[in-house]
Formats: sequence, C-alpha cells, structure tokens
Amino acid sequence: MSDTSLVTLRGITKSFGAVQSLRGVDLTLGPGEVLGLVGDNGAGKSTLMKVLAGAIQHDSGQITIDGRDVRFASPADARRERIGIVYQDLALCDTLDVASNLFLGREPRKGPFIDRRAMHAKAAETLSELHVRVKSTYQEIGRLSGGQRQAVAIARAVSFQPRVLILDEPTAALAVAEVRQVLRMIRDVAAQGVGVILITHRLQDLFEVCDRITVMYEGRSVEDEPVSALDIERLVAMITRSNTEEAA
Amino acid sequence: MTVETATAPTVLAETPGRWERANKATLAMLGVTVVLFLVFGIAAPNFLTFGNISNLATQVAITLIVAVAMTFVITTGQIDLSVGSTVAFVATGTAEMLRAGWDSSIVIIAALVAGLLWGAINGWLSAHQKIPPFIVTLATMSVIRGIAQMWTQGFSVPIDRRLFVAKIGDAKFLGFSALAWIALVAVVLGAVLLSKMRFGNYVNGIGSQEESVRRAGVNTDRIKMITLMLTGLAAGVAGLLTAARLGSGSANSGQGFELTVIAAVVLGGTDLFGGRGTMVGTIIGAVITGVIANGLTLLGVSPFLTPIVTGLVLLIAIWINLRGRSLADLFSHLTRRS
Ligand SMILES: Nc1ncnc2c1ncn2[C@@H]1O[C@H](COP(=O)(O)OP(=O)(O)O)[C@@H](O)[C@H]1O
Ligand SMILES: [Mg+2]
Repeated sequence: MSDTSLVTLRGITKSFGAVQSLRGVDLTLGPGEVLGLVGDNGAGKSTLMKVLAGAIQHDSGQITIDGRDVRFASPADARRERIGIVYQDLALCDTLDVASNLFLGREPRKGPFIDRRAMHAKAAETLSELHVRVKSTYQEIGRLSGGQRQAVAIARAVSFQPRVLILDEPTAALAVAEVRQVLRMIRDVAAQGVGVILITHRLQDLFEVCDRITVMYEGRSVEDEPVSALDIERLVAMITRSNTEEAA
Repeated sequence: MTVETATAPTVLAETPGRWERANKATLAMLGVTVVLFLVFGIAAPNFLTFGNISNLATQVAITLIVAVAMTFVITTGQIDLSVGSTVAFVATGTAEMLRAGWDSSIVIIAALVAGLLWGAINGWLSAHQKIPPFIVTLATMSVIRGIAQMWTQGFSVPIDRRLFVAKIGDAKFLGFSALAWIALVAVVLGAVLLSKMRFGNYVNGIGSQEESVRRAGVNTDRIKMITLMLTGLAAGVAGLLTAARLGSGSANSGQGFELTVIAAVVLGGTDLFGGRGTMVGTIIGAVITGVIANGLTLLGVSPFLTPIVTGLVLLIAIWINLRGRSLADLFSHLTRRS
C-alpha cells in the first residue's frame, strides 16, 4: 500500500491560538483513487485540505508525496507538487475578470507584459471544454452567480493538470445538471490517474464517485472504509458517531 | 444531457465595449474636469492660454508623481499618510547636501534612496509586522517631519541657483517644464505597471481579496511592501523637485500634501476600499485639484482659500467614493490588521 500511495498524511495537528482544529489526522490517497472526506461542520476537513495545499502550515505530523517527505511553506510549494484545490470559499478575486482569476499567479506573458489576448483565448477554451457557462472571460467575477463562480474555481483547479485534486464542497451552489458535470469530471480525471479528495455533504454523490471514505470527527480521522463496505445509514452513523456515543 | 451536446464554444473571449469597461466614477470626473475648464475659462480670460496651461502642468506635476504611486497603495487597500513629510525630509536633505558641497548627481541619488528607505520602513512595518498602514504612516508622518525639523532647526536652507539640481526646477522643453515631463514619465510607467503587468493584477487582486491572491502562490506581503516603497520613492522625487523649484529646502514644505495626493487618487475613481485602481482617473483627479487651485489664484481670491477648498474637495471625493458604504466601514478597513 505505502509504495503505491500518492499522498500520505500522518498525525497532522494544527492549532489556531487556543483552538485545536486538527488533533492528529491520518489519510492516504492512491493515484486514480477518489476519496470522500466527510465529517460534521467544524470537524477540520477544510483546515486539513488547506494544510495539504500549503495555504496554512501544520504544527506537527508528516506529509508524504510519492514516498517523499515534504513540507509546504507556501501555496506555491504545493502547486509545484501539482496539488490542485477548489477551496470552500473559492479563493477568487471579485474585482478581477474571469480570465485573470483563472490564471491568477501564472498569467501568460509576452516579455514583461501579460499577454491578455492569449490569456482570454486560453480561458475561453478551458471554460468551454469544461462546459462552464459564463458569457465572456472579460466579466468580473463579482458579477457572476454563485454557481458560475464555483464552476470557474473548479475549472481553475483542473486546468493546472494536477496529480492531486482537492474539492472542498465544490457543488454547494450548483444546479443538478452542473453537479452531474462535476461528478463526471471527477471520474474522468481519476481515470487518468489523478488522486481526488472530495468533501461534500451530498452523501449520494459520495456513493456515486468515491472508492473510499475517510471520516473526521473533532479534528481526528476516526474511520476509513471502502465505499463497497458502506451504505447511507452506516455512513450517517459514522459521521454523527451515534453508535459509539450510545456505547459510551 | 444538453451540456454534453454543446459543440460551439460556450464562453467568449470577446472584449466588451469601451463604455462597459470604463470606470463610471472616472467618467463622471472627466465631466467635472471639462466643466471646471469651461467655468474658469470664461471667468478668467487668461486661464485657457498656453502659458497658463503649461503653468498648470507644472503645478500638477509634483502631486501627480506621488499620486501615481499612491494609486497602487490605495488599490491594495492600504494608505500612505507620510508622503508630505517625506517630501519635506528629502527637500531639506537635498538642500543640506548641496550646501555641504556634494555633487548634484550624488545628491539626486541620495534623495531618491532616502525616499525609498522611508517607504521600505513603512512597508516592512505594515506588510511584514502586520501593523495597519494607516497607523504606521500616521506615526512615520510625525517622525519623518520631526527629524527634518530637528536637522534644520526650522530654518529654510537655500540652494545655489547655479547648481544642476536648481536648474531642473527652471528647465523647460517644448514649452513645458522638466517637472511636467517627469510627471508624464511617471504616469506612463505607472499605467503600464498597473494595467499591463502581473504586478498590477496582483495589486488589484490584493485590494479585492488578499487571501485569494496569496493562495494563488503570490507573495502578497512583498507586493504590499513594494507599493509603499513606490510612494516613498515618488515622495523622494517630489521632495527633490520641490527643493529644485523653490530654490530652498524647508522642513515645513509639503504640509497637507498627503491630503492633496489622496484626494487626487480618490477623485479619479480608485476605490478607497481597494481592488479597483485607475491611472487615467488619477491624472484626472490630479488635474482637478490643480485646476481648482490655479483657477482660484487667477480669480484673485485669497490664497488661504486654497486649503479650505482642497479639504472640501477631499470630503466630496470620499463621499462619492464611498458609494453608500459607511465611513465607519472605511475606517475599520484602513485600520484593520491584514
Ligand atoms: N483561521 C482560523 N482561526 C481560528 N480557528 C479556525 C481557523 N480556521 C478554522 N478554524 C477552526 O477550526 C475548526 C475546523 O474548521 P474547518 O476546518 O473549517 O471545519 P470543516 O471544514 O470540517 O467544517 C473550527 O472549529 C474552526 O472554527
Ligand atoms: Mg469546511
């Protein structure tokens, strides 16, 4: 298992002042695998994914990518390892246009200048390929609907051709057809060998695309099961810890 | 599924029309400028003469040079209140160094470096030490002028008119002063930096949602620090030119200059909350502040009226710029830790 794993997290902890958000999380992800990460609000899922994306730095624990121990000092470090993420808050800039957001931090250049023509052309191409519906790449992100914003954020993460794709509640603002689109995209990239971590409260989606599910509870990873061994009732019980609490 | 059958591109990279892209606040101020020119042109017969327009360009130049840099600072959601003091510091420093017999070329370099250093101190304290720039520059505004005053004991230091630095203040090319040409260069550089380069994109992005830009792998602290170094450098240039123009360096020069500069930037339509900067707007804003001062002088009103009018213009500019948001929001925005 360890030699085939793409990402391994061991004993990750993180505190914000007095709040201990992560108290020791273990997680593994293989190439081409779709992992569902679930847990109540405040369980620490988003915090854990920010650690894996280099947006925040953990206090202790180990991140291993392809068997190499790594430590991300910044989001740029994680991007270099080709970890792509759709943040829960999307991490877009409202006053920049769609293309600028899509290429934020890696704008195509001609000499020292941004090659806007190329940037907008590529943006239109990428968005069209992913069937994202926005009128023009020159539209300001702040003027788009919640669903369009989410679609642009997903397109951005995918356009990096990541090896690891993290989706933190990517479908919350999407319409039914768009959700189907995202689920299909997840299966497509996984088939190409990308490891996907999907955080969502739509449990039926997890059963549709995931191979395995990891459950977090109060900053810890508490369960890890293949989807084939689960049904909705068991999963709900694992998230709410109802059986363990009854036993305790 | 309908989405899968789409063959034609669903997204267009079409440039929207000029009207759609234009900053509406900037357009409104362009209208105000035209009205001001008409009103003063009618009221003061010598207002629209080439001589006076060239004179106006010189008067606007120093404000404009610093306003270009201030546009970056305000667009990132920061503010720099120390530029007037840096002007005074560099102006006195220039005069003192010339009096000590330093060569003009060295004095010019030293003046620019001094401005840049004050900017770096502001930038380091706000971007890296996370003290709100409003607080940092309020403090350095007092410190920097204080040092200049202690240095000169409040006396104005004269500059020998035969020196090269002094000649910059009087030089003219094609009917316009060297100051006006330097301001033009600053505007062009600023416009290119803001709208054509990555730096400008990040400046706008930081003012909109800094954390998003940081998560995109950009060192946002560095960008914020550079913007404050730009205002420091621009204030250094302004200080040097002020000394050159007046033929002396005084620790009391540049009083209230920060307000004129901020008024120019905000009048032009750059959002005080950050995220939307316009260099064209800044030119318009600087011209408006200059035209008001110039026109009032031509009409022969009391010179003491100018600061009153400038203050009122700043007030109106901020009022328009707030667009319904409260002043309390603005204050908490400017004093928040980033
Ligand atoms: N920047 C932060 N500062 C303080 N507390 C935080 C911060 N980020 C997250 N937390 C806390 O960490 C806990 C886990 O949050 P989060 O990772 O967002 O949970 P989830 O995504 O599972 O809903 C919460 O109690 C939250 O309040
Ligand atoms: Mg979350």
